[in-house]
Amino acid sequence: MTAPSSAERKACWEARDQLWRCLDDNNDKATCCQNFQSEFEAKCPAQWVKYFMKRRDFLKYKEKMQTDGFTPAEGPKQPS
Amino acid sequence: MKTRNSSHFDGLTIKTKLLRTRLLVTLLFGSGLLAVWLYVYSEKQQKLRQQRIQQLQRVALGQGSFSLLDHRGQRRTKRDFLGSWVLMYFGFTHCPDICPEELDKLSAVVSALDRDASLPPVQPLFITVDPERDDVPALARYVKDFHPRLIGLTGTSEEVKHAGQDYRVYASPGPKDEDGDYIVDHTILIYLISPDGLFLDYYNRTKDQEQITESIRNHVKNYIRL
Repeated sequence: MTAPSSAERKACWEARDQLWRCLDDNNDKATCCQNFQSEFEAKCPAQWVKYFMKRRDFLKYKEKMQTDGFTPAEGPKQPS
Repeated sequence: MKTRNSSHFDGLTIKTKLLRTRLLVTLLFGSGLLAVWLYVYSEKQQKLRQQRIQQLQRVALGQGSFSLLDHRGQRRTKRDFLGSWVLMYFGFTHCPDICPEELDKLSAVVSALDRDASLPPVQPLFITVDPERDDVPALARYVKDFHPRLIGLTGTSEEVKHAGQDYRVYASPGPKDEDGDYIVDHTILIYLISPDGLFLDYYNRTKDQEQITESIRNHVKNYIRL
């Protein structure tokens, strides 16, 4: 399997950006972005689709860490 | 009346002359001091640079060699690149976003340095961490998208591993999907190598094109040949 060409990469990134923008605008409701999702899956290799979905989660987590800071998990409740 | 006037005039010229001499002496003395200080300062800078090179020579990074095939199928060793500045990046052609972004940045840096006629040309290299898929034709297709001087390098998995280990490059292929496709997790640093083959600096993702260009410009200008 040959790697995507420069044009194919750009088409994939564009589809990804459109999907991400749609998800951002719709509070991550995937049902609102079905068209963008299928466009994204059509233009990117399956492995990239998985990678970019994870990457979005990571970037969002990173942004949350930078804006809200780290909130430690609540420790075990004291036995009463 | 006339004589008094002229003697008064003479006194004035003597005063001006004295002042002029004094000024000249001060100026000469001052510039002498400045010259000495400048000399001592530049000597010290030179010594610091020499010490830096000695430290770098002891760094356990990039001390070895590599022997790989370029994207035209010719064998290239590290020795072939001695004498020119090298910017090196490790990656793979199936890379979703980071490699193409870093290679675009690297290409832009090399082009920016190319525009400065006082600087020698910098040689960009791309070494694959995925020899299983990145053979010579795959690299030939890939490097076309970036700087025209970019050289892609590949080899057997041993040769590629050996080249990476010398720069402490980490690379680990992920699981294959039903298409046999996979992503290789790897070190994403850009390395700067001097004409003596010495590792000089590295740039991570947070460094932008301008910062890297400026850093390399400084390295080239302050470089002392071994």
